Amino acid sequence: MGRFFISCDEASILSTRDQYNDLSPKEKFRQKLHHGHCLGCRSFDKKSRLFSRTMNSLGWIKLSKSQKKAIKQKLQEAMKK
Amino acid sequence: MPEVKLIPEKWVDRYGDYLFNFTISRVNDSIMAQDLVSETFLAGLKSAHRFKGQSTERTWLISILKRKIIDHYRKSNSKKGQAEVRMSYLDNGDQNGDWMEEQVRDLRNPNVEDEIEQKELGIALNDCIAGLPERYATIFVQKTIDKLDTETICKEHDITASNLWVIIHRARVQLMDCLNSKWFKKA
Repeated sequence: MGRFFISCDEASILSTRDQYNDLSPKEKFRQKLHHGHCLGCRSFDKKSRLFSRTMNSLGWIKLSKSQKKAIKQKLQEAMKK
Repeated sequence: MPEVKLIPEKWVDRYGDYLFNFTISRVNDSIMAQDLVSETFLAGLKSAHRFKGQSTERTWLISILKRKIIDHYRKSNSKKGQAEVRMSYLDNGDQNGDWMEEQVRDLRNPNVEDEIEQKELGIALNDCIAGLPERYATIFVQKTIDKLDTETICKEHDITASNLWVIIHRARVQLMDCLNSKWFKKA
């Protein structure tokens, strides 16, 4: 049987991984168990969720493939000179 | 710190998206942002001999880009000043409306306010990401913004999954602190 009680360091990493949906059911259980008695980690988890919501609310714009190609072409031409 | 060497062949793939996002949040024009990013890379290439290797490639390129953005605003402001047509609202007898109401955007409109707030938040976050160590910033952006899977990032950086999560965790903590001081305390 695996360890159920985890340290605050481990709990905070689990909190981060949870924001990316990377936890197994067992890890989720461990995290919940830890949050049940640790106010500090519960508060960190709340902050982390707020941060994720903020990140997701921002529209991140990327260069399209054609834009990248055009820039690469310019750069390659300049490198040949 | 080990001396950093420039690898211009990889600039577009490594920093293109980040620099583009950084620019577009400041100039609000996709074509102009693309031009500025492309000019930044060309300027970087031109002044590569002056790069001393004391900062990272990304920090160096961002400093060039910031100067390009300032130049862009200087140019557009001077053009605007030259081409400005001065009109007096009161000279036109047909218009009797309240010029204040007609001319000024209604900032109480929540959509406008939200848009401005989001833009400012984007700028603050970009500045915070720029302040992260390069490795942290790259991995954080790949995982959070590019949404790459863990395995791909681990392979690219030759790290284990647990290393990756520690890096992302540290990056997030630094960003939260940075945003807290730059943004949430102001609000």
